[in-house]
Amino acid sequence: MHISDGVLPISVALGSGVASLAIAAWSVKQTANEDLPKVAVVTASFFVSSLIHVPLGPTSVHLLIPGLVGVLLGPAAFLAILLGLLLQSLLFQFGGLTALGANALMMGIPALLCGLLFKRLRGDTQKQHVLVGGLAGGGGTLLAAALLALLLASGGEDFFGVMKLALLAHLPVFVVEGLVSAFTVSFLFRVKPELLAQQLGAAS
Amino acid sequence: MSETQAMQLPLIYLLLAVFLCGTLWWLALWTLKTASHRHQEGQQERDWSVPLIDSAAGGDSLFHRWDVRFKLVALLGFAFLVVATRSPWSALLAMLLGLLAVRLARLPFARSLRRLLAMSGFLAMFLLIMPLTAVPHPGDFLLTFSGIDFLRFNLRGLSLALAIVGKACAVALLMEPLLATASLPRTVEGLTRLGVPEKVGQMILLAHRYIFVFLEEARRMATGMQVRGFQRRTSMQTLRVMGNYLGMLFVRSFERTHRVYDAMQARGYQGRFPAPAYFSVGKSDWLHTACWLLLGLLLLCFDRFWLGN
Repeated sequence: MHISDGVLPISVALGSGVASLAIAAWSVKQTANEDLPKVAVVTASFFVSSLIHVPLGPTSVHLLIPGLVGVLLGPAAFLAILLGLLLQSLLFQFGGLTALGANALMMGIPALLCGLLFKRLRGDTQKQHVLVGGLAGGGGTLLAAALLALLLASGGEDFFGVMKLALLAHLPVFVVEGLVSAFTVSFLFRVKPELLAQQLGAAS
Repeated sequence: MSETQAMQLPLIYLLLAVFLCGTLWWLALWTLKTASHRHQEGQQERDWSVPLIDSAAGGDSLFHRWDVRFKLVALLGFAFLVVATRSPWSALLAMLLGLLAVRLARLPFARSLRRLLAMSGFLAMFLLIMPLTAVPHPGDFLLTFSGIDFLRFNLRGLSLALAIVGKACAVALLMEPLLATASLPRTVEGLTRLGVPEKVGQMILLAHRYIFVFLEEARRMATGMQVRGFQRRTSMQTLRVMGNYLGMLFVRSFERTHRVYDAMQARGYQGRFPAPAYFSVGKSDWLHTACWLLLGLLLLCFDRFWLGN
């Protein structure tokens, strides 16, 4: 779920904008020039995956994959997510211009943490890869939902009702996301394990 | 006023209001559908499901002639000033200004309408939930409807939600004049001159290109899956297939990009596209920019001092 313009108090919108600019600057520094096309690939895939709907009972949910982006890119994930969100708001009006910083924090911080988690714990076996990948995928969404709730709650007690609903809406997504991420990681481990190494230069 | 005030209305009022909102929403959807149908008849091969950002870049209007850097600064500044307002009335005024901008830039309204509809789900949540969950403060006005008087609608919550909807719509209306009136490479060049690292500008352009390629790829893979009898259900099987699908999308995209990047380097790519972009700043650029920023400031002053929020 993307926060749209006008929801957050101006101080929160500006503050999160500045914070995400700072993290993005750090993320750009971590990214070598020759890796940029690959970051662009994941940016575009992040965008496309938000259009992939997974059926769930009578409705369907679309994937968010902050966790997977982190798994694939490591420190460059924040940049990919910021740009993916920018393009989403430019093309589709998902999210908004003034809420871009907040949205980037909401998805980008989980991506960074999940990338770190995956790098530390992934081990060598497929089983462990899949387990940690699923954990990163589900955890990323859960963390994103928590951050969303925190941001919404910054509007004051009048926003608590909306916050609870948003949290509730993320619970099924969290399960779907974790499982799909686990399967994706398992697929990548079998087909192209160098993509999971997070060393973009070596992956080519 | 220290107590909350309460008032009861017949249920039919609520039903009428909900019906009216639903009709409006449906009407907007219908308008958009017929508009895009008309579009598609002329152009058979282009798929319009992903809207192009800079579709109207070739036009001529006040916005087209505006220097990109000034346009970015002015409209971004204006957007933040709009978001800083608090009352639904100033949000309404901002919406009117947004409409005026679309009109002045001579853009088709259908694309702005598509943007508004894209947000409608998220915003409807606020409209439905906020009146019910806003905490009653002294001086608040509570509405109940006969028959369902256990539900208390707080008018302050409604006005909060309306302000949010208005501000979101106002900024969304500005997006088309901001982006569609210059080609995307030009807009990105403007961003770079404003201090965004060149790396990031390149990434925006590359990712924007790849989106269309990958969407095509994803669509082709989905067709292949369908032909082989895959059906989407709520099951572990479906999730596994979706996981593999996503993985395959990554693998193919990486491999394709690698080839493309090699080809780019072979042709002398050194981190930037050699696109000559000429910028010229005139008096009208300054004037136009000052005008928008002033309007934004006036709106904020009106909101804070006149309406006393």
